[in-house]
Amino acid sequence: MQGRLGKVKKIFIREEFCIACRLCEIYCQVEHSKSKKILKAFKEEKDLISRVLVEEVGFNSFAIQCRHCSEALCVEACISGAMIKNKNTGIVICDENKCVGCWMCIMACPYGVIKRNISEKKVASKCDLCGDEEYPVCVKNCPNEALQLRDI
Amino acid sequence: MALKLNQSEFEIHRDEQKCISCQVCVRQCSNDVHEYDEDNESIISDNIKCVGCQRCETLCPTGAIRIKQRESEFKYNYNWSPGHLKNIYKQAETGGVILTGMGSDKPYTIYWDHILFNASQVTNPSIDPLREPMEIKTFIGRKPDKIDLYKSSGKNMKNPVFLTNLGPQLEAEIPVLFSAMSYGSISLNAVKSISRAAYEFGTFYNTGEGGLHKDLKKYSESTIVQVASGRFGVDKDYLNSGAAIEIKIGQGAKPGIGGHLPGEKVNYEVSTTRMIPEGADAISPAPHHDIYSIEDLAQLISALKEATEYKKPVGVKVSAVHNIAPIASGIVRAGADFISIDGFRGGTGAAPQVIRDNVGIPIELALASVDIRLREEGIRHNISLLVAGSIRSSSDVIKAIALGADAVYIGTAALLALGCHLCQKCYTSKCNWGIATQDPYLTKRLNPEIGARRLYNLLTAWAHEIKEMLGGAGINAIESLRGNREHLRGIGLSEKELSILGIKHAGEAW
Amino acid sequence: MSNILEDNHLKAKYVIIGNSAAGLSCAEGIRSGDKKAKIMILTNEKFDNYSKPLISYFLAGKIDLKNIFFKDHDFYKKHSLTLLKDFNVKKINFRNKEILSWDDKKVIYEKLCIAAGGVPIIPQVELAFLSEKEEPGNNSNDSHIKHGRSGIKSRIISEIDIKNIDGIFTFTTMDDSLKIKKYVTANKIKESVILGGGLIGLKSAESLLSLGIRINIIEMSGRLLPSSFDKTASEIYEKAFRDKKSSVSVNKTIKRVYIKNNKVVAVETGDGKVIYTDMLVIAAGVKPNIDFIDEETEERKNLVFLRGIKTDKYMRTEVRDVFAAGDIVENKNVLKNSIENIAIWPLAVRQGMAAGQNMAGFFKEYSGGFPMNSVEIFDIPGVAIGITNPDNFDKKHLEIITDYNRDLNVYKKIVIFENKIIGVLLIGNIERAGIFSGLITNKVNVGKIKDLLLKDDFGVIQLPAEYKKHLVTGDAVAL
Repeated sequence: MQGRLGKVKKIFIREEFCIACRLCEIYCQVEHSKSKKILKAFKEEKDLISRVLVEEVGFNSFAIQCRHCSEALCVEACISGAMIKNKNTGIVICDENKCVGCWMCIMACPYGVIKRNISEKKVASKCDLCGDEEYPVCVKNCPNEALQLRDI
Repeated sequence: MALKLNQSEFEIHRDEQKCISCQVCVRQCSNDVHEYDEDNESIISDNIKCVGCQRCETLCPTGAIRIKQRESEFKYNYNWSPGHLKNIYKQAETGGVILTGMGSDKPYTIYWDHILFNASQVTNPSIDPLREPMEIKTFIGRKPDKIDLYKSSGKNMKNPVFLTNLGPQLEAEIPVLFSAMSYGSISLNAVKSISRAAYEFGTFYNTGEGGLHKDLKKYSESTIVQVASGRFGVDKDYLNSGAAIEIKIGQGAKPGIGGHLPGEKVNYEVSTTRMIPEGADAISPAPHHDIYSIEDLAQLISALKEATEYKKPVGVKVSAVHNIAPIASGIVRAGADFISIDGFRGGTGAAPQVIRDNVGIPIELALASVDIRLREEGIRHNISLLVAGSIRSSSDVIKAIALGADAVYIGTAALLALGCHLCQKCYTSKCNWGIATQDPYLTKRLNPEIGARRLYNLLTAWAHEIKEMLGGAGINAIESLRGNREHLRGIGLSEKELSILGIKHAGEAW
Repeated sequence: MSNILEDNHLKAKYVIIGNSAAGLSCAEGIRSGDKKAKIMILTNEKFDNYSKPLISYFLAGKIDLKNIFFKDHDFYKKHSLTLLKDFNVKKINFRNKEILSWDDKKVIYEKLCIAAGGVPIIPQVELAFLSEKEEPGNNSNDSHIKHGRSGIKSRIISEIDIKNIDGIFTFTTMDDSLKIKKYVTANKIKESVILGGGLIGLKSAESLLSLGIRINIIEMSGRLLPSSFDKTASEIYEKAFRDKKSSVSVNKTIKRVYIKNNKVVAVETGDGKVIYTDMLVIAAGVKPNIDFIDEETEERKNLVFLRGIKTDKYMRTEVRDVFAAGDIVENKNVLKNSIENIAIWPLAVRQGMAAGQNMAGFFKEYSGGFPMNSVEIFDIPGVAIGITNPDNFDKKHLEIITDYNRDLNVYKKIVIFENKIIGVLLIGNIERAGIFSGLITNKVNVGKIKDLLLKDDFGVIQLPAEYKKHLVTGDAVAL
């Protein structure tokens, strides 16, 4: 795997290797916390929200997060212009300053991976592929490579 | 429900300041050690269920968990060790044989650790393997008594024609192969990891008695198919699917006894691979019921060679037992192309502890005596010698080869590379590392891509180290080291041990 | 004259009437195929662009003027779009491809997209103008009002009245929002009547409530958001209104609004109850804004189907080179297989994009849609997708599953027809609502997973394998 370097990359979900440990969720919460420190985030901060979601039925499980769709229904549904797809990187990002929390995106996303964040101002929270990190933390911390970042 | 006398073997230390109640430990433990208490949002751990596999400790994102061996398990008594007490308590409760997994952990002498390897100084130069060619490729198979070459006169003198019919050989890029571990005793993902690594590196793995799963046929040129007393999964197609065939007589961890895969582990995939009904116990008898003599063995060898049109080497695997040298001699004379000797510290998925810890001999001694005996009889070249039973490092490999082995098998070392923490609970089928289990919830934990990569890395690292050691000793081909005991010296060994090993003591010059 | 008409500034290959979701999406659509030709956007408003649904958030003070723009300020420049503000279309001469404004400007197009949106519906309410001495509601006999003994002047309300009389508002534009904000502040309004419990009514209620104003919603039908909610859903919100000392009156109408000194003083409901108020928001719904299409013409007959502009799957209208998109449009409702006006943002964007791409010469299909909406009032989120009140479906193949947790105030309702979900109503917990939208859009057979739909952990993992695969094809997922 290579670093991101401005290429369009996506997270591959590999159901057969997801072990439902939910470390992706934990690290996602930390990465999107204020302190970005695991102990501080979990001990002192409230309402941590994971933007990746582990689904589990019996031994089947997988972690799913925003697919950064090419024709993103959330972008289409966004009334505030907060949800934007970057044409160069392919990343769909919700500008939380612009977001008004109308939940149109939640209603539109067929993966159900946008979350209602009401900890402060109401905003939609979703995967941002960990903007400044070389690898999204869910990919980096998956112990079994059930999540992989690949070029597309 | 009478009182149970056994105490917990481990202590689980949870640093509450670090625990974030994320429940990774709860989800990862197949023994239900950890439990989340919703009322006070904390996790409670039950020491007695812990097998010490350290899965939780490894995955805990904050390092809050430490698994420690309980120190004051029982009152100290040199004679009545905690092991004796525990077993007696357990047997008094259950009336059963004590089962265990992996190789013996008893403190018998480990001869590898009493042997030192040589290096060149002044009189013959050492070789830098990074700058000069270094050959560790190994051919496994019967070698001819002599080689006939046709030498034409005149200009063609330099290119003689090879006249000898060499017979089938396995060509391994490293004198390290993966031991027989059946699909059934370990998960398909574990077998996939091992077979893929063998294939990619250019060495071999062994199916064990598990048959050959359809997903693994693509690695057939790196596969040694085993024929054991249960004959599971054996048909003509199976025999021809591998690069070589190995007849399993015995296993180092449990010489003299058979195997038993309980019906609950025989799921659909296992049953089709082994060619037995789903849910049926897979019982491997202690002996092959058609082998009661060397002559019987010779018959089976020739039958297998016939079935595979003499295209594949056929070997025989035996446990290292007291009479190993004459047994090996018999195997050579029975027509085998290689012999695999499994020492008493070799691993197992399940064995009675009493057998594992008390039966058989160390591989170092078995190897040395077999090599010496075959040389004495002038038949050493007729067979390749593979040894197994706790090869732990590249130095064990190089010492084994200097003691006369052609190559080694690694089993436990391979499983360690896949994540095994030697908790020795393989027989429970609850392996938290996804290795010794068929539970799909657990087998998912071993991603064969990662597994294969780790095994490949291990072989790469060992290959480097072997080359470094060879170079240091001024040797540029592993062939030149084989049986070259002058490169070995014993340390802290008795005269008898040195004589069996056929090596001088450290300090003794040529 | 004709020379002026040839003026380049008023002539463009592509002209778009409307500067909102559909219009701007259309411009983007055109630009995705044609990078050069001139695009002119006409708007009757004075703003660069703003998101109409955000006016309620603006009124509530949740966003400022800076953030009400849904497209960046450099959007027009980046796509080289010419924006004509304050352009009030009077009529379109389709034969000459001319658009005329009320102030006699003329724009000539080669291809036109009408994305003029909707305008508020003004119900037939009577305005009663009281003198200084007169009080509302003391007229016992309705038939006497117009020429009554008391001599009260009255007439049916018109758009002009809404503009001129203090305290009566509609709520569909930024202007409305600004006016309400000013009025509310200046008059320290504490209570308001809202006529209509539909989406606009609820949105305006939401923002007025957050300004500390008590609300009386008067809704003609038997429940709030009648097109999407059912009685249970409505009652959850009705109770929340009551808890905030506001009220919702269902099955009620306003028949008369009392005006004194050119200012609202009270309203009288259909059953004669007088409610004193300083403010009335008329939120009786919106209709396609087609007034500028001359009723007499042949084109009008061709363009309009029921009440909006009918378009085909390429967003073409019946008139050559004229496209339409957004809230003005009538197109396919895929759940009913009918042609109707579905005025929601996502479809406006999708239609605009399709119209634009087709105008630029690429065949981009718009396959129809279905209604969906999301509200959040008093921190109770609610989502209604598709047909939540299936009145015209064969009962034999219809299944409605519901779950109402009164303690948590969570209500879920799923409408299944012939084993496919056609409608979903989620109140209180809208997590993962979009999965249902996907199931509806793709007409997925849920026969085998019906029991799981209402479970809290329902997710992608339970979806039929085929659909799960379809969901992820091409989007970097291997499930």
